[in-house]
Amino acid sequence: MVKKFSAPLERTARLLDLVPYISSHQGISLAELAKVFNVDQGQMTSDLTTLWMCGLPGYTPLELMDLNFESGFVTIHNAETLSKPRSITFDEGVALVLGLDLLRSAISPERGDLLERIDLLSQRLAGLINLPSALSATSVVNQDVSGAITAALKSRMGLEISYHSLYRDELSTRSIFPIEIVKTDSHLYLSSYCHTASDFRQFRIDRIQTATVQAVQQEIPKSPIQQSSHTCTVKVLTPTREIAERFKQSELHVNTEFNCETYSTQWIERSIMASGRAVCLQSPPDIRKSIAVMAQTMLDRYKVR
Amino acid sequence: MSRKIERLINLTIALLATKRYLTKTEIFNSVDGYEGTTETKERMFERDKDDLRSLGIEIEVGSFDPLFNDEAGYKIKQEKYQFELGDISSTEVSLLSLAAEAWQEASFGDVAQRALVKLRSIGIPSDELSIPASVHKLNDGGQDLSLITKAIAHNQLLAFNYLDSHLGIKMRSVVPIALSTRNGFWYLSGVDQEIQEIRTFRVDRISGAIGASAGPKDFQTPAGFDPSTAFSESSTHDFALIDVRVGKASSLRALAISTQSLGEWDQVKIPILNLDSLCSLVLWHGPDAFVQEPAELRDLLVEHLDALVKNHG
Repeated sequence: MVKKFSAPLERTARLLDLVPYISSHQGISLAELAKVFNVDQGQMTSDLTTLWMCGLPGYTPLELMDLNFESGFVTIHNAETLSKPRSITFDEGVALVLGLDLLRSAISPERGDLLERIDLLSQRLAGLINLPSALSATSVVNQDVSGAITAALKSRMGLEISYHSLYRDELSTRSIFPIEIVKTDSHLYLSSYCHTASDFRQFRIDRIQTATVQAVQQEIPKSPIQQSSHTCTVKVLTPTREIAERFKQSELHVNTEFNCETYSTQWIERSIMASGRAVCLQSPPDIRKSIAVMAQTMLDRYKVR
Repeated sequence: MSRKIERLINLTIALLATKRYLTKTEIFNSVDGYEGTTETKERMFERDKDDLRSLGIEIEVGSFDPLFNDEAGYKIKQEKYQFELGDISSTEVSLLSLAAEAWQEASFGDVAQRALVKLRSIGIPSDELSIPASVHKLNDGGQDLSLITKAIAHNQLLAFNYLDSHLGIKMRSVVPIALSTRNGFWYLSGVDQEIQEIRTFRVDRISGAIGASAGPKDFQTPAGFDPSTAFSESSTHDFALIDVRVGKASSLRALAISTQSLGEWDQVKIPILNLDSLCSLVLWHGPDAFVQEPAELRDLLVEHLDALVKNHG
């Protein structure tokens, strides 16, 4: 997506940006500088060597930039012309404006001072790149919840959470030990050891309704308990976008059959129910049967009236 | 290769440092790296100008002496070259740094990283710990976000194939006016040229490449469009009355505009935005949800339930 420059242009841009960075970070180590610019140390040394040959017309030691890096630490002098950071590009501005908007949704309304600064910065950036103010990013995660998660992960503490399980359609209170945040599909999950279930679980962060940091025992059994998974075969009767997205299938045609693996029989039951006449579960037979029974029960109720 | 890079940097420095416009002859005589015949130098210079422009560096062309129509001269204006954010505090640098970090591993990850380097080069230390917010990460919107934002800025026309709810693919022509993200998805709102109305599209449902071209000349961005309301059209007058078992069906309750207690059940009133998706959500909740009204929704449910019984019996 981001316009890729040819290698020499990419390098020219990096050299131009190196000057203000070194000017404001005099004495930075070569290793750290390479890391900031995402190149290896060999490349960084070669960049600095090239830069060392540049300067104002005349190109005597008086006009050339004065770069020092033999010691492994980098300093620059006589580089005033390039010492201010370059203007931001359109894409860079867009990235910052959207990032600020997301940040706004994570800041408590009580901090009006910060919110005001975010708005001003956003306007100034949009002005610099001529962007109409029509970009927005919101976060669906409750800020108290995300604050508690960050705190627990940092201090290796436990959490008490109330969690809405979509498959069971239940709100439960659980005592968990969070391990890490992982991203699957479009959602963020908190990978945890759940003391309530005595097993590892992944909690979708936007379904955690409250979270409080608490001390929990940190002993986690070495090997997770094996969960039994079910293999289901689903036949497509009417291909729809909803089905494709729900079952994460890309090629759907009438009579296509696909398999899916799930740990939750409730998930497969509910997914088939919600798909209505568009799909048919071929196996396993016991889930087929319970779907038929459930649908009949509901049907009877509608037909009473 | 590094000769060319040196030349580009020397040219930038010379054009930035000069107070007056430099003529081509002056550039060739003073800037290191221009060699060969006049023709070769001219070609080199033309290419160098294009290269710098593509890096976002604008070269101004002006006349050395406005009274005489003589050779054109060149320079780069400091104020255009520099990142001019005005006076900026350490708190503001921290806010911007957090904003850039939201893109980790997502669409604008690389550019955000570059912006961050420029911010840090301003030389004002940031203290991100002073900001009482944890950064959420933005979702990857694929390769198209930059194209879409450029089209918004320039009122361009976007043409793309869009997957409709029956997996049909239809070509849409849209002048985009907003880009937003919600629930982990990216959405593009714009004026659909076929119907001249604002429509919102989920970016990951666009199939294949997006084409961008010049938009209609008389295009005017509809006033007062708020992207955050694109998802909650409250203008509907159709409502469903649904009984939900106490303690169950949170996803239906979340949509309710009012709830009435009926003992073991609650009755929720839900605006109908899309009959099919509401029907599907009711089915998801099985016997914990029962539709009272409207008849249209009941009929649709009965149709699906009939099929479910038949297909699984």
